[in-house]
Amino acid sequence: MAVTHASRDAGNRPSGSHLNTGEGPTLLPLDIGHPAYMGLVDPDTAFWALVHKDRLADALEGGELLTSFHQKRASFQEEMQTLRFGLQPSAVYFNPTDRCNLDCSYCYIPQTMRRHGTEMSREKLLEALRLLQGHFAKTLPPSRRPRVIFHGAEPLLNKEALFAGIAAYNNEFDFGVQTNATLLDGEAVDFLTSRGVSIGLSLDGIRAETTHRTRKSWAGNLNVHAKVLEAMERLAGYPYYSVIVTVTRENASELPQMVEFLHERQVPNCLLNMTRCTLPAAREVRLADEEAATPFIAALERSHELFRQSGRKLVVANFANILLAILAPTARRLMCDISPCGGGRAFFALAANGDLFPCSEFIGLDSFRGGNLFAGGLDAALTSPAFHRVTGRTVETIDPCRRCAIRHFCGSPCPAEAHEMNGGMDRPGAFCAFYEEQTRYAFRLIADGIADDFLWDGWDDGVVTLFDKVGPLVTPEVSPP
Amino acid sequence: MNPVSPEKTMLKNPSPEHRAPRKDQVIATRKSCAADGVGLSHYILTERKGH
Ligand code: SF4
Ligand code: SF4
Repeated sequence: MAVTHASRDAGNRPSGSHLNTGEGPTLLPLDIGHPAYMGLVDPDTAFWALVHKDRLADALEGGELLTSFHQKRASFQEEMQTLRFGLQPSAVYFNPTDRCNLDCSYCYIPQTMRRHGTEMSREKLLEALRLLQGHFAKTLPPSRRPRVIFHGAEPLLNKEALFAGIAAYNNEFDFGVQTNATLLDGEAVDFLTSRGVSIGLSLDGIRAETTHRTRKSWAGNLNVHAKVLEAMERLAGYPYYSVIVTVTRENASELPQMVEFLHERQVPNCLLNMTRCTLPAAREVRLADEEAATPFIAALERSHELFRQSGRKLVVANFANILLAILAPTARRLMCDISPCGGGRAFFALAANGDLFPCSEFIGLDSFRGGNLFAGGLDAALTSPAFHRVTGRTVETIDPCRRCAIRHFCGSPCPAEAHEMNGGMDRPGAFCAFYEEQTRYAFRLIADGIADDFLWDGWDDGVVTLFDKVGPLVTPEVSPP
Repeated sequence: MNPVSPEKTMLKNPSPEHRAPRKDQVIATRKSCAADGVGLSHYILTERKGH
């Protein structure tokens, strides 16, 4: 039935259904930089719609979009609440040694630790895995296998203990190893790949000259670049591997070529991460916030062209994660871009002496030590004030994030950077403008119908659709006054 | 947060040759699954064999 303008103004709608007032739906306009579409976002629930610009006013006046969203808003809110506050830790970033054979410019582990730190004995490492298994058996459902990611420092410096742990517990944990790859010889690759261990390598350039600007050995005598390339050759065709490129001002201009380089070598996944600015040395090589998006998006564009030409994807996982945060918030695989971040609640970090931290990023920051696995135990650490400082950091307490429409696609990472560089947990992290641009670009891809080109094949297997309004805008028919 | 010039914020729309103009007046979707992400900026798990 047609309604007149007057009757609409008189409140001929269910109570509380007006946009942006009372209990009505909240939607902020978001300029996504697209010629045809404008975004609308409900920041609290991370609900969004893209509306053709010439229908924007009609969409905001009411109709099917607003009504459907209004009906589902509470369930979206609940979903975000669970994602943000209701998870159990299910992974451990496990440093079997504090030491590293490299001295990378931006490492978040202090130099003295990497040179002179502790190494976990084989017995201690096995004991740690036993304690972790006991903990997860109590907290996770049997269907959920916990993850242990050996991380560093350089975990393969303690290869014997590491491999003993993987051999003994491969049925209990999904294992991963993040390594600088300089020690990833044929034997190590055979051991890890035959057990399905997920492997991450680090490489910063397409040429040795670029890589060695940031990834340096202590004495400067190790050809890190050549070693990583050898490891990549050994891993060619292995599906469970990724390469982390830490983006700094030393390699930013080469990012599109880096993507070509990785694609040519059949790398299935990469991370193009802006360096974290937790420790002062990293800030020396960082890109300025407003400089980060241009080379990054150029690299994404190149990855897309390569996919269109070859039919084979190199997924840029940190960007894919932003797309997932928009399309299916619970499907995200990385837990930096949400607040609270995953540190201390989706996972935690274990140092080589048994000390527990909310995330590896805090190893080296003593005031964030929550306890020790071997003395005091995990339960006490997980509920410690040190962990609460990280798990309690929400975008709602940070200015300007509390007003930001994309706060649940960004999360204002990273708390370690916020604390160390920007002066407190209630401050944003290092790359606000970069997140703005990534999010706008992600929405443009959605508007153009090509977001799937940037995501893992089968990413939505087993994923259910909660909302699906794609097509003409259905609005109430309005008769002339 | 940081003031950014309009030239910088208006990054050009990517690869126009791959884009067919969409006719949809509205695009709004949301999907869901059990949350199990545990990656971070230092690492991403590239397989889900236990799941
Ligand atoms: S945002 Fe920082 S502290 Fe949180 S998970 Fe990511 S790296 Fe760790
Ligand atoms: S850091 Fe910037 S983009 Fe991210 S939530 Fe805060 S204001 Fe928004």
